Amino acid sequence: MIPVTVLTGFLGAGKTTLLNRILTEQHGRKLAVIENEFGEVGVDNQLVISGEEELFEMNNGCICCSVRGDLIRILGRLLKRKDKLDGILIETTGLANPAPVAQTFFTDEEMRAAYRLDAIVTVVDAKHVLTHLDAGDESVKQIAFADVILLNKTDLVKPAELDELEERIRRINAVARIHRTRDCAVPLDRVLDVGGFNLERAAELDPKFLEPEYPFEWAGVYSLPAGDHELVIGHDGAEHDHGPGEGHGHAHRHHHHRGNENELDVALLPVRPVAQTHMAALEKDEPGFPSPFAVQEAEALTAFSGPEMKLGPGDPCRPGPGLLRLLLERGNGRYPLRVDEAGLYALFEGCGEEPLHVLVRGEPVKPGWQRDYHHSHSHDDAVSSVGIQQTGRLDPQKLNQWIGELLRTQGGDLYRMKGVINVKGKDQRLVFQGVHMLFDARFDRDWGPGPRMNTMVFIGKNLDRAQLTEAFQACLT
Amino acid sequence: MNLTKHWAGQLDDYAIDLAWSPDGALLAAASAAGPVALFAAADGARRHELPGHENGTNALAWAPGGRALASGGQDGAVRFWDGATGQHTATAAVGSGWVEHLAWGPAVAAACGRRLSLLGPDGTLRQALPEAPKTFAALAWRPNAPQLAAAFFGGVRLIDAGTGALRKEFPYNNGIQALVWSPEGRWLVSGNQDPSVHLWIPDEELELQMSGYETKVKHLAFDRTGRWLATGGGRDACVWDCSGPGPEGRAPAMFPHDAPVCALAFQHRHGLLATAASDGTVMLWSPDRRQPLRATVKMTQPPTKLAWSPDDGQLALGSAQGAVYVLRCENG
Repeated sequence: MIPVTVLTGFLGAGKTTLLNRILTEQHGRKLAVIENEFGEVGVDNQLVISGEEELFEMNNGCICCSVRGDLIRILGRLLKRKDKLDGILIETTGLANPAPVAQTFFTDEEMRAAYRLDAIVTVVDAKHVLTHLDAGDESVKQIAFADVILLNKTDLVKPAELDELEERIRRINAVARIHRTRDCAVPLDRVLDVGGFNLERAAELDPKFLEPEYPFEWAGVYSLPAGDHELVIGHDGAEHDHGPGEGHGHAHRHHHHRGNENELDVALLPVRPVAQTHMAALEKDEPGFPSPFAVQEAEALTAFSGPEMKLGPGDPCRPGPGLLRLLLERGNGRYPLRVDEAGLYALFEGCGEEPLHVLVRGEPVKPGWQRDYHHSHSHDDAVSSVGIQQTGRLDPQKLNQWIGELLRTQGGDLYRMKGVINVKGKDQRLVFQGVHMLFDARFDRDWGPGPRMNTMVFIGKNLDRAQLTEAFQACLT
Repeated sequence: MNLTKHWAGQLDDYAIDLAWSPDGALLAAASAAGPVALFAAADGARRHELPGHENGTNALAWAPGGRALASGGQDGAVRFWDGATGQHTATAAVGSGWVEHLAWGPAVAAACGRRLSLLGPDGTLRQALPEAPKTFAALAWRPNAPQLAAAFFGGVRLIDAGTGALRKEFPYNNGIQALVWSPEGRWLVSGNQDPSVHLWIPDEELELQMSGYETKVKHLAFDRTGRWLATGGGRDACVWDCSGPGPEGRAPAMFPHDAPVCALAFQHRHGLLATAASDGTVMLWSPDRRQPLRATVKMTQPPTKLAWSPDDGQLALGSAQGAVYVLRCENG
């Protein structure tokens, strides 16, 4: 399938600069560029077609169901070649809503079969974007729709302002890949054929954004020797293993204990060997590095939703599947811990505020990696992102029903939706993407040998994370 | 029935259109890249190579009963050629977009974006018709009446050839991909994006909608009697019985392929229907028979066009890789 890149951005942001760069650079690809009618690009060698935007309103003029008739025509004609093109670049006008362009690739069977919407690339003028964002809807939409954002004209803005800007963009669209550029100077493989639309690189997503509503608040991975150790809960012990001032700065400003104050749910799960380099990267907390503990997180999810084993103070425990409910006395408890095999162990704690230590030969050991699962999203931009990532198999009928209902009732507010889903009875990944009320789903390749991780991303207005997560979980078999 | 390979030719690119000269002596074959080859029907000899259009040719149309050929291309022009000599005789600039649809009846109708022009055989502009709200997507002259049907997203216009006057407009609230008239001019049929087939009887104010297609319907063909309407729009060629009150309430005949149907053509004087699918399979059918399948031919390249010679003795096939095959068809 021929990858299609859609280029959006306000007038003056640098779209034409990027287009000219793509057209003149020696990248060895045979591209066709469909520019809007006021385009000013003209280059030999590559195919440049001037299109005039023509909307086909499929459903009483509703923009959510409109497609671009001119694109169906032009792209249909571009298929009539002996040698297929390597890519298509579609430039939209500064004010255009990119939805009909994207929707064209979902509704028309011929387009669906021949083309793959690769990415929506939005060029943002770092100097003026805040004004645009404050002023109105269209620039917010262009950011919300984007798979790739070029934060351009960085030379006109201070680095601190750029950080702030990026933060603001992230709040609208948590999954787009942001590149800071000057004169749109960016390696073209960040813009062309990036696989942006299909969550191919779901692991690159910001893990914070993707977190489901975990039933636990903290996890630490400990390297433990074989032997008899001790799990200690409470303020009576040494200093807390985690919390404010630990360098992982996710302070819990609002602490609400889950359930009974004199119980603490934990799960202690063995970790498969992790590559040394990987572990080092994790310790440095390098952004964008996928959690290697996704398996344990999924196991912990299962453990926390399953039956618990109650342990009174002094009762012995071992690592393994299942939930341990530690019964505390005035917030304290000591539990002998037997470890048969030296290795890495992930300890999940239901309440992240509860002081917890693992003592080896009477000395507390520090976790080599730790993570808070407690986070809040600010909602000062009406448009936001919600991500769901969880293992498990989904019932295709329930999924279909849910998505159908969601699109019917909230399609107007849903700018983008993407997902990679593990469907019951299928060895292939179900990959889907949607814009407003229209979406496209297909099975692509087989799942790898690792765990099958469902990933769903929603970007839009008035998104309710809890509701979406709950609805997703209701589709699990 | 006997189907044998007669000859083959090669174009420099995708075979975008095929058209037999009315006397059956020449087959014009347009490459999507631009050049138009004129092959001798008898032996496949390349009589003339017309330059066609810069940036690509889209459509071909012969003058009814004559040897003049018109071509429409990406350059916004209609070019006229003498089929006998290969000479370029005239050019009509009809717009700044692509000339995608061309139909030669009482005049040469050429659609370029939202503009529709009626040209004389010498390329002179006879009528510049009012612009449509959206790009014209299909043209068809009404048999036995000087009327042109022209479709766009939103409807079909019925235009008087002599005056250019709009006789009637049939609204249709979706995209239209194809138009065809039944041979006696009774039915006007559109193949639609939604996906469906819509039928009008313009003289009786009657219209019907047949839906249930897998994909948009880009291919339509009527048999010589006006009874059978063959339609694409999926893996089956779906054939409706349009006799009497029309197809409503009648189950269509389904002629199955394993891949989407990409071309359809009925014979002019006989009843065979040729269908082609994107997997290269070409099949011949007799809708009147109990066992309708008559022959199957497998091409190694995706077919693009099917065209029966005026005497029905030869079937021309175009391919995505630019091959042109002519098969001899002996009814038996």
